[in-house]
Amino acid sequence: MSTLAALAATTDNPVADFGDTPWWLSLVKALLVFVFLLINTLLVIWFERRVIGRMQQRPGPNRAGPFGLLQTLADGVKLALKEDIVPKAADKIMFWAAPAIAGAMAFVSFAIIPMGGTVWMFGHKTPLQLTDTPIATLLVLAVAGVGVYGIVLAGWSSGSTYPLLGGLRSSAQVISYEIAMGLALVAVFLYAGSMSTSQIVFAQNDLWYIVPAFFSFVVYVITMVGETNRLPFDLAEGEGELTGGFHTEYSSLKFAMFFLGEYVNMFTVSALATTLFLGGPAAPPGIAAIGDGMLNGGWWGLLWFVVKLWLFMFFFVWLRGSLPRVRYDQFMRLGWKVLIPTTLVWVVMVAFIRAAELGFLGDSKVSLLGRDFPRATLFIIACIALAVLVAAWFYDNHQVKRRAELEEARAMDEEIDPFAGGHPVPPLPGQRLVEPPLALSAARPAPVTDSGSEENRG
Amino acid sequence: MTVGGAESALFWIAGPLAVAGALALLFARKAVHAAVGMATAMIVLGIFYIAQQAEFLGVIQIFVYSGAVMMLFLFVIMLIGVDSSDSLVETIRGQRWAGLLLAAGLAAITIAGIGKAAFGTPRGLAEANKDGNVSGAARLIFGDYVWAFEATSALLITAALGAMLLAHRERLTPKATQADWSRERIRSGENVAGLPAPGVYARHNAVDTPALLPDGSPAELSISRVLRARGQVGTTGALTQVTQEIEHEVGDESDEQATTRKDDDA
Amino acid sequence: MTAALSSVPAADFVATKVEYAAVLPMFIVFGMALVGVLVEAFAPRRVRYPIQLVLTLGGLVAAFLVLVLYSRDHQAKTAGGAIVIDGPALFLQGTVLVLGAVGLLAMAERLDSAAPDTFTQSGSAVPGSPQEAAAVRMGATTTEVFPLVLFAISGMMMFPAAGDLLTMFVALEVLSLPLYILTGLARRRRLLSQEASLKYFLLGAFSSAFFLFGSALIYGFAGSVRFGEIAKAVPQVGGMDSIAVPGVLLIAVGLLFKIGAVPFHSWTPDVYQGAPTPVTGFMAACTKIAAFGALLRVLYVAFEGLRWNWQPVVAVVAALTMIVGAVLSVTQTDVKRLLAYSSITHAGFVLVGVLAMDRTGVSSTMFYLVAYGFSTIAAFALIALVRSSGSEATHLSQWAGLGKSSPVLAGAFSFLMLAFAGIPLTSGFTAKFAVFGAAIAHDGTWLAVIGVLASAVTAFVYVRVIVLMYFSEPSGDTAVLTPSVLTSTAVTIGVAATLLLGIVPSPLLDLAHDSSLFLP
Repeated sequence: MSTLAALAATTDNPVADFGDTPWWLSLVKALLVFVFLLINTLLVIWFERRVIGRMQQRPGPNRAGPFGLLQTLADGVKLALKEDIVPKAADKIMFWAAPAIAGAMAFVSFAIIPMGGTVWMFGHKTPLQLTDTPIATLLVLAVAGVGVYGIVLAGWSSGSTYPLLGGLRSSAQVISYEIAMGLALVAVFLYAGSMSTSQIVFAQNDLWYIVPAFFSFVVYVITMVGETNRLPFDLAEGEGELTGGFHTEYSSLKFAMFFLGEYVNMFTVSALATTLFLGGPAAPPGIAAIGDGMLNGGWWGLLWFVVKLWLFMFFFVWLRGSLPRVRYDQFMRLGWKVLIPTTLVWVVMVAFIRAAELGFLGDSKVSLLGRDFPRATLFIIACIALAVLVAAWFYDNHQVKRRAELEEARAMDEEIDPFAGGHPVPPLPGQRLVEPPLALSAARPAPVTDSGSEENRG
Repeated sequence: MTVGGAESALFWIAGPLAVAGALALLFARKAVHAAVGMATAMIVLGIFYIAQQAEFLGVIQIFVYSGAVMMLFLFVIMLIGVDSSDSLVETIRGQRWAGLLLAAGLAAITIAGIGKAAFGTPRGLAEANKDGNVSGAARLIFGDYVWAFEATSALLITAALGAMLLAHRERLTPKATQADWSRERIRSGENVAGLPAPGVYARHNAVDTPALLPDGSPAELSISRVLRARGQVGTTGALTQVTQEIEHEVGDESDEQATTRKDDDA
Repeated sequence: MTAALSSVPAADFVATKVEYAAVLPMFIVFGMALVGVLVEAFAPRRVRYPIQLVLTLGGLVAAFLVLVLYSRDHQAKTAGGAIVIDGPALFLQGTVLVLGAVGLLAMAERLDSAAPDTFTQSGSAVPGSPQEAAAVRMGATTTEVFPLVLFAISGMMMFPAAGDLLTMFVALEVLSLPLYILTGLARRRRLLSQEASLKYFLLGAFSSAFFLFGSALIYGFAGSVRFGEIAKAVPQVGGMDSIAVPGVLLIAVGLLFKIGAVPFHSWTPDVYQGAPTPVTGFMAACTKIAAFGALLRVLYVAFEGLRWNWQPVVAVVAALTMIVGAVLSVTQTDVKRLLAYSSITHAGFVLVGVLAMDRTGVSSTMFYLVAYGFSTIAAFALIALVRSSGSEATHLSQWAGLGKSSPVLAGAFSFLMLAFAGIPLTSGFTAKFAVFGAAIAHDGTWLAVIGVLASAVTAFVYVRVIVLMYFSEPSGDTAVLTPSVLTSTAVTIGVAATLLLGIVPSPLLDLAHDSSLFLP
């Protein structure tokens, strides 16, 4: 830790000062992070089932403990007591190693998440963060990359078809979406001038990056769902197609490891989103002003951090409650043909905006809404807006033309009477249906009158 | 230069792991094991870089090599199913021993060379990481070695072009959509409603069991043509019997089936 | 923590200066390659071939003109020392551009039909599969080869101009990767072609690893990868020769592989045989030029101070290359393999020139490369025209009696064979005279003797081919196609250059001598 303190004060390096953090305190913090994640996982599974239950007009689990809070615990105990089955065709070593990798890697990334301000802990002044390095954010991506090995190897080592396909899908998915995710993060790095999480949080002092890097935020949120294999992108374990996907053959505690890994990963990506775009442990704008930042920093940070974290968890649950699973080719097309190119363009744009802000493209400034903006920044933003407008105009024209063509093609079709043969016949290709006016009015629901409703009730 | 206790502990724990991974690459019988061994070795190397305060390099090593490159390797190995051990028969006699001998010789020469060399004093990390590790790397990449860095783009474009040429099958005709298929079916007038689905019976439901036509004979078309070609079409006699028995028990036997059964009995 | 902290650390960053006038030819070639890729992406299939042909040839000609008229006066060490544009670099770049253009003419041959003649129409389809037939029917083209050739040429231009080991390595890969791909795209005998491509790729990757290993050792030795710094470190750094010498030798292995010197030659015959024939010609001429340029720079600029260590090794390699190449070429029955072994022998002759270690060494080497390049591209272009039942007739027996059935082709080929053998009045004689002269002047007499003996052996082989063409009865259905203007031009240029350099070599010899000084 002493080496970290000796680092020069450049934006590369973390702001967080670990100079007064002895090794045993780091161990304590690691343990606390671990426990925090475990408890949150227990809670979020209950939360998910309850919220989805509400969304689907049913109560959800409400028997074990108050509000059914202990349901997850009971499920966990049950899972642990189940028989541990290893398929005959499985590759024994890998079959064991896979859940261990998936479970262990999920926890690593949380080490670099700043969960609060600097606090006093056992007589030492230390940041509420396990550790930080100049490349902390990249570390999350790297660890996620290693974590996929768990899924891929699980799929392969099970020695059966569905898991193999699930594993293949999963690896393709994570690799593809990690590219877009990394690119989305580049915009944040450009703004912060650093990849260290504490430095990024520090740089968001006056403005959370969700505003200047809004597009990155959108892309990140999409990719984080793809990265964690959650609905609507849970193609690696799509029940309808692949039974259970990569963990079809797993049972008992080994299955629990995957389950745990998935939820901890959700927390990790949410925590990263909080850190990079929502100011991490910083208090929300209104509250931050109260009492000269009284509620901002220290242990208060933990509260704001957890609130933001759980907002993302709710978002995950909401998604699962409302969206159906997408088709695999559509999913890949979205990743490669939409997210990656647009994010690439976005990063180039941000680079220009940033260069203008730093004065590489001229120094003159314009005062606007109480903030000083370099003239070059405004010029670039205007250029971008113009380009977007022109693109939208072209797209619109194209759409109008296409619609006209479609209309024309429809007009060319031969009109048929579906009831000509006495029996309703759907139109064949090249034919067009003429709805008989009578049938239309007949199909329209009759206006409900009071007497009618009375009749129904009766 | 002295090495701290934590760092040397890390080295002695992770070092053997890296060597084990590298040896697994050489000696593992299954391709997947070899790939995982190599991934392990690369991850440990990345950790070593981080321990030596080349954080950026270390993380990129893990991110790019084990996270992406090795993963693609694994992907290909799994996709083409190289899980049986390769044939280890030598095509040139004595090649393996000659290769081992040469490799050992090369290793001996380089190790002896490096061991004999008198190294100067190291420049120190403080100077290299003066601007911070990432900025230091950036300064080298975009400053001194910008030409080599930019020239690498030619390499990547060539690689993409080559992959397209050698592996991407260009679509020469537009892909038939669902609508096209349906139009085609209606035009040809055969199986206008699509092929029949496989049979569903009381105790059996699988793609290899044909559905029954109204006259009770199995519908060959309801089975995938792959299974038909392989001769893996299941029989239906026993299954229909069970179905009918169950339906009889629950008193749900329709007239039509009853007549068929009578016919069978007769 | 103050606000000053969030200033960007790289604000005082100074961009590396690039002398654009000096590197403009490289930029033109690279830029045209990029345009070619875009054409592949956006132009309709029918018009790609004419567009690509014009673009590629135009790019090469433009680059050559810029090089001769403009960059020549802007010699510089640029891009922070990564690129050195000096006499040898300019000479070799110009040669690569000219020979690349000539080779391209042969590669673009379509025999007046709409389909490519040399390259497969669907590289991804399994040979002989329905997909391949469908691709042929639908008129698929493989015009991607044009940008690939340009990428290879830009790598070949960068290779001899590289000012540090890193740039040299990247250039090595930039020139090799397109060649690996091109090798696997033959239209006929596709399995052979794909096998050749894979072999070339695997062995190439292996040799790159040697190069990298050597570079790492040298970096450990000198603390820098720049050739200038390394040259300075050689006399200064003490006690580390045990790293430097293996380093030099490993780097040399990487380069000698590209040259095709024995014992790193084993890929040459297979790849030359499997690759599409005009590509073989391009590879044989241009890769050798680039690789010898790089070898010259490494040995002359960076490691001159260590010459007593590496010179004997390279001398043995040169001798071995000449002997093995010459002896094995006697037993060959396939024309392409025969020329492959001949190219190995020629590599040995050029190495003899390299070992002279002064200006005459550089100039004679460069002259030899030019002379050999023109002859070899023309020779392979001619081989591509000899067909038998739809396939290329490369077996020697199929060439029997060609002198009677198609005297022009046989005449031109015989002339090129005489040039390879080093008969006076051809460029081969002048070139051999130059390198052996340089060797004899600098204690390399024994090498020159071996060289002359090897020449005698290879002369026997070449004369045997000529005898076969003129004094045997024709057999089988071997036929010679009538080439379009593209191949005719390429062959004419090649033969004319071979003749001219044999009769009036002095202008080029003078030019080579004038541009034989390396910038330190």
